[in-house]
Amino acid sequence: MISCNNVVKTFNKLEVLKGIDLDVAPGEVVVIIGPSGSGKSTFLRCMNCLEVADSGTITINGKIVESKESSLNKLRQDIGMVFQQFNLFPHRTVIGNIMEAPVLLKKVTKDQAKKKGMELLKKVGLEDKVDEFPNRLSGGQKQRVAIARALAMEPKIMLFDEPTSALDPELVGEVLAVMKQLAKEGMTMVVVTHEMGFAKEVADRVIFMDGGYIVEQGSPEEIFGQPKHERTKEFLGHLK
Amino acid sequence: MNDFLSFALTYLPYLLQGALVTVEIAVIGVIFGSILGLLVGLGRVSKNPLLSQLSRFFIWVIRGTPLLLQLFIIHFAIPSVFSALTMPPFVSACIALSINAAAYIAEIARGAIQSIDKGQMEAARSLGLSSSQSMRRVIVPQAFRRMLPPLGNEFIALIKESSLVSTIALYDLLRTGQQIISSTYRYMEVFFLVGLIYLLLTTVMSFIIGKIEKKVGAYE
Ligand SMILES: Nc1ncnc2c1ncn2[C@@H]1O[C@H](COP(=O)(O)OP(=O)(O)OP(=O)(O)O)[C@@H](O)[C@H]1O
Ligand SMILES: [Mg+2]
Repeated sequence: MISCNNVVKTFNKLEVLKGIDLDVAPGEVVVIIGPSGSGKSTFLRCMNCLEVADSGTITINGKIVESKESSLNKLRQDIGMVFQQFNLFPHRTVIGNIMEAPVLLKKVTKDQAKKKGMELLKKVGLEDKVDEFPNRLSGGQKQRVAIARALAMEPKIMLFDEPTSALDPELVGEVLAVMKQLAKEGMTMVVVTHEMGFAKEVADRVIFMDGGYIVEQGSPEEIFGQPKHERTKEFLGHLK
Repeated sequence: MNDFLSFALTYLPYLLQGALVTVEIAVIGVIFGSILGLLVGLGRVSKNPLLSQLSRFFIWVIRGTPLLLQLFIIHFAIPSVFSALTMPPFVSACIALSINAAAYIAEIARGAIQSIDKGQMEAARSLGLSSSQSMRRVIVPQAFRRMLPPLGNEFIALIKESSLVSTIALYDLLRTGQQIISSTYRYMEVFFLVGLIYLLLTTVMSFIIGKIEKKVGAYE
């Protein structure tokens, strides 16, 4: 479903990704962990071309990700992304946020988009917030709206970049619950997170990144149970 | 005092007529200035080098030369070469003020667009919106709200600067006052009244603008 081959990315002389290979199967949930600055976000953002990789190839559903506008816009419709800072549109209501892209990009009427939006809001448990503006929502509610907004395009893949890192601890659970539900429904997901509990419970595979490389990967049992590399042990040790 | 009051009452209707012209050209200036200014501002932040250089050039020229000169060029210089472009003073005044305001508003627009968190553009693009769709639907509407306070200031500045049009024989508030003086020689009373009316206009306008801002900025 996703296939990354020797992806390299440099920001002014600073080599952030030093050749990353990763294949994600349909329906697989991959969790990426690693210390700050190890390139997790950059890698995720290369997958939908928010950052353009310097070299290497990324293929999504058999289509090569390239920075050409027209093909890229089409490709991105299949890849939902959820950001740490939510990035809801503050000038649109909750339902307005969700309907925006489908109405513009899919051949659906406003009524159809609204109906679909209401279903999604029900799914994330926010059907009572339809006409609220984002500034009136808690962080957890904002993030659930952001997930619904991404799902409205009916993506085949969802990317999450530290979706719960900006939340108060008591609000983390509600967002993770929505993500678990998605995983259960068979969504292909790549999740960057520091929530090890989520990784243990939901991930099919855990990737440990450090210094621009994938240092180690395996099932949650392998990575958390018996990590092979010193760096992985050290990182996981720090978390305890 | 009584004498002043009866003088004021006699000439006030004329002055108010002049004030109406002042408000009209200021309103037209701010509306067309905003439209043109937003376009130039978008050009300024565009990735297309031709567009951004052209916009930069426009802003540089207009902000770097006096409004009075621009007014003379539009009303006198251009028609002296292309007589087909001869226009009544009111039209020349509106064009000059709109173009002049546009250059300042373009910088306001650029600042507002650049002040929008870059996560907004990323969120829009990640949903599959093209860059122009993202601009139109996500960035510009938010930037426009941020432009309102400086746009209000620009409008008030325009009311005052529009007095320069009195030099091309347009009977705005100032020119009407001068005309009254030319027959009555009562400088003090007339300029006092003219000043009072300008002050009233700018005060009422800032009040209205404040109200609009409150309403539109409610979501932030
Ligand atoms: N747009 C950019 N310009 C320059 N440097 C950047 C840019 N984006 C990221 N970097 C640098 O690239 C490195 C990797 O950043 P990245 O955000 O991918 O790390 P991360 O693993 O997601 O870290 P964190 O856990 O803190 O989010 C960092 O050193 C960062 O400063
Ligand atoms: Mg990150």
